[in-house]
Amino acid sequence: MAIPLPPSQAGVSSSASGPSRSGTSILLIDDEPVARRSLAGRLTKMGYRVLEAVDGVDGLAAIRREHPDLIIVDWMMPQMDGPTLCERLRSDPELATSQVIMMTSHDQPEQIAEGLARGADDFLSKAASKQEIVARVQAGLRTHALVRQLERTRDDLDCSNRALVGKQRVLDEDLASSARFVHSLLPEPGAPAPGASMAWRYLPSLTLGGDLFGVAKWGEEHLGLYMLDASGHGVSAALRAAAMVTFLHPDNLARVVGGHDPVAIVTEANRRFPMTADGDYFTLWVGALHLPTWRLRSVSAGHGGAFLSVPGRPTTWLSQSNLPLGFDPEAGYVALEQDMPPGARIYLLSDGVYETMSPDRELWGRERLQQVVEARAGESIEQVIDACFEASRAWQRADHFTDDAAMVGLERNREASIVKREQ
Amino acid sequence: MDLSSIFDYELALARLDGDRELFTDLVKLFLEESPKEFAAVAAALARQDASVLASAAHKLKGSVTQFCANRLLDSVKNLEKLGRAGELAAASPVCATVEHELAELQNALRATLNDRLREA
Repeated sequence: MAIPLPPSQAGVSSSASGPSRSGTSILLIDDEPVARRSLAGRLTKMGYRVLEAVDGVDGLAAIRREHPDLIIVDWMMPQMDGPTLCERLRSDPELATSQVIMMTSHDQPEQIAEGLARGADDFLSKAASKQEIVARVQAGLRTHALVRQLERTRDDLDCSNRALVGKQRVLDEDLASSARFVHSLLPEPGAPAPGASMAWRYLPSLTLGGDLFGVAKWGEEHLGLYMLDASGHGVSAALRAAAMVTFLHPDNLARVVGGHDPVAIVTEANRRFPMTADGDYFTLWVGALHLPTWRLRSVSAGHGGAFLSVPGRPTTWLSQSNLPLGFDPEAGYVALEQDMPPGARIYLLSDGVYETMSPDRELWGRERLQQVVEARAGESIEQVIDACFEASRAWQRADHFTDDAAMVGLERNREASIVKREQ
Repeated sequence: MDLSSIFDYELALARLDGDRELFTDLVKLFLEESPKEFAAVAAALARQDASVLASAAHKLKGSVTQFCANRLLDSVKNLEKLGRAGELAAASPVCATVEHELAELQNALRATLNDRLREA
């Protein structure tokens, strides 16, 4: 137990001469009562709140209970001596930063060295003058205040970090929810029109991607296809991409364009989506497949990712050297026209699929992708798309695509399969 | 008796920043504690326990230090040293000196205390 002091020496000092330090507590641990009272009396007079303990065991209990700002401990004591007490403090995470001044009766250098090694911060001679006591105590308290400030800063940082993690969790959930919405805009794989099959894979580089695509009936006779790329990544790109998807909705096209001609659609899109103040823009590929004749009309605005794959014919890229949308409000467009015989496939893809870099910075490119597609012409659309993704990943030696990676395949079924389905 | 040959009152008071009240407290405490502290020294010597002799003398040294009683302090330091060195034969006469000088200091402090009371 710590000995309670008589009112003149314990508790808050009422000394008129001493500065106000009543909040600052000093624990004095000494087994010799006269010396202890002498130092306690002087410290109290200086305005400190002085606690006393009669040996190391008693002192350790007082430290745990009172968390004093400074500890002054005698070297030689029965039960637990000063150096042993220091070692106990330093090995206890709760108490390790305590400031400890050790009292010595003689300043033998080897004693100082041992005391430092065992955890003392400073030393005070038992015969010390008032000036020396004041100086050492103030130095110890200054260090203690700095340590406390550091601990508070660390605790504040921990607290801010927890708050940030919480906010991040909310943002992540927001993003995931938006991603589910964007995903709901993508077409259902399967048969978008009689005699046609469609499949796709989409890997946004972030939770939300700026690449979107659509395959949908436009009126009675057309199947509309598009692939768009909003520049940039993340939320801003996804919002702009969703706006473009809304524009390309068949009902909207019927209302604002008045038809399904790719030239009219891209011209109107170019007018409605000028480059943003931040310099963001779209690239877009739009195709309209006339189902009675299987004739495809397409326009590309800066988008390089569509090609036609017809059995027995060379691969045809459906790209044009037009500017992206929003660069020139007066831009004019001309449609490309192709026939899709039975077994023909059209692939739409975002540049994220083929613009992957090998570790020594070589581009994979459209030609290598085309080779993969041609080598696997006999396989299903899903298998071909998967093979392209795998080959691109193998090239960059990484699973994660740094850009949004999307690829859509649409096939005009061979007659046999139509007959089979109609049976 | 010349008290100043036994302890330096002015210096002891200066150590306490001139706090006479604290000095009086310390004297009263010393008059209670020092007989017990010396008894522990004498008992250790009687038992011929050098290690206990050293630590008992060390404790006595702590209280004597407060009064700037240099002659007694030197004797007590000597006794602690002899105890630490295990020189019990040499310790006996030093212990007798300490007993004598301690009685002198206690008497001198009592006298000072009485003077203080008379002043008050």
